Amino acid sequence: MQQYISDIWKLRYFWFSLVQIDLRNRYRRSVLGLGWSLLQPIAFSVVICAVFHTVFHQDIRDFGPFLICGLSCWNFIAAVTLQGSLSFFQGEHYIRQLPTPMAIYPLRTVLAAAVHFLLALGIAIVAAFLLRGLPNPWALFSLLPSVFLLLLLGWAIATLAGLMSLQFMDTQHLAEVGLQLVFYASPIIYPPDLARGRALQWVFSYNPVAIFLSLIREPIMDGTVPSMATYGSAVLIVATMTALAMAALARMEKKVVFYL
Amino acid sequence: MPRIVLDEVGITYTIRFAHRVSFKEVLVRSFKRGANPGPTRVEALKGVTLNIEKGERVGMIGRNGAGKSSLLKLMAGVYTPTTGTRTVEGSIGSLFDISLGFEPDATGRENIAYRSYLQGETPKTLKPKFNDIASFSELGEFLDVPVRNYSAGMVTRLAFAISTAIEPDVLLIDEVFSAGDAGFQRKAHQRMRDMIGQAGIVVMISHDMNTIKQFCDRVIWLSDGRVHRDGPAHEVIDEFTEYFANEPPAPAAEAA
Repeated sequence: MQQYISDIWKLRYFWFSLVQIDLRNRYRRSVLGLGWSLLQPIAFSVVICAVFHTVFHQDIRDFGPFLICGLSCWNFIAAVTLQGSLSFFQGEHYIRQLPTPMAIYPLRTVLAAAVHFLLALGIAIVAAFLLRGLPNPWALFSLLPSVFLLLLLGWAIATLAGLMSLQFMDTQHLAEVGLQLVFYASPIIYPPDLARGRALQWVFSYNPVAIFLSLIREPIMDGTVPSMATYGSAVLIVATMTALAMAALARMEKKVVFYL
Repeated sequence: MPRIVLDEVGITYTIRFAHRVSFKEVLVRSFKRGANPGPTRVEALKGVTLNIEKGERVGMIGRNGAGKSSLLKLMAGVYTPTTGTRTVEGSIGSLFDISLGFEPDATGRENIAYRSYLQGETPKTLKPKFNDIASFSELGEFLDVPVRNYSAGMVTRLAFAISTAIEPDVLLIDEVFSAGDAGFQRKAHQRMRDMIGQAGIVVMISHDMNTIKQFCDRVIWLSDGRVHRDGPAHEVIDEFTEYFANEPPAPAAEAA
């Protein structure tokens, strides 16, 4: 285990430069560059805001930041799932040439997605500040452990999705459908008061995604540090997923090369 | 002390199906019981025992699919033995599939950097080598162009320049003797000779018996995943060429 982590560390320049290349390539020859990854959640939020404002008379001051926070978190989870399922195929040529720790390929996926996530989170904070003022800037520090938990979760999801798609070609398509279901079963676009008292609320209370959404939203929206119960549940989920991913990786580490 | 010790090594892997499984197949298969072809087991290597000591120059010969590349990948640590044990002491440098594994959208310069990092360099150790690699590739201003736009020859030159900028104890080579045009080939051969001269152990695969004769003192003839003959280069090569001179050409061999 220790040896494994030190092997990953030894190759840090390799996977780090792959992440850089991924980020640069995505926007090569584009005018806006990284701006596109900022524009996408903003544009989506504006559309949904306009709809909900007209149909349900939602107050944009509350709903706007609520939406951007939710989307930034969700887009990260969706990205690591979809791109994670391709992570080993993406590294195929390296895997075939040199012995490398397999964990670095999902890591590459997660770190690139994390950059977009952090940018979106920055926008969410700025939007919240502009629209309603930050009630308590100190609460923002509680985002640090939350982001760390999300990154760890992202690595676990990417690893599991990647290993699954090695054996089962349909993983990526399955993930696309699954993500769509989870998206609508999570409190991402529904205004909180709209869900209250309906069947939706019951779904939300058992939805693990909701926990991570609160971790991001509460400090930015309400200026409160999420409760210990929320953190506890998040830690439990992340620990379980990470343990699963590590166990699966330990089983498959030496076999990945034969599945490519 | 560089050393390679393989003890009763075998590699078996399952190819689930010729292609990856789709949901439709799973569904169809569960209804049509008789039609299930099941997983195919491939025994790439069977009970290979070898001992290669410092100073040896070993050539591996055999037909396509005899297990040469699998054995080399096993020595490199890319494949892990299913049975038996593998011990390799010393730093390993491998030259196979070198033209693959470029990030096509990155420039030549970027590719030099991260391929070198993959080979274990750090920004500090790469810096003094970088110019050598760049000038050896003869790519000039093309180094700032994405590799996607390179010709096949340019990719090979870049790959060769990067992959040979290492000084390993154990050097593993799979058919990389033809790189680029005639002028570059001469340079590449010189580079290979230097590398082979400096490495503690060299194991190479080639279908060109002259190359093997030129570099190797010991030759291993693999057949059907086993060591068929292992001995002094000239003896084994003579036996090999004689064997196939008398044998009528077999139908197209399976994939390497």
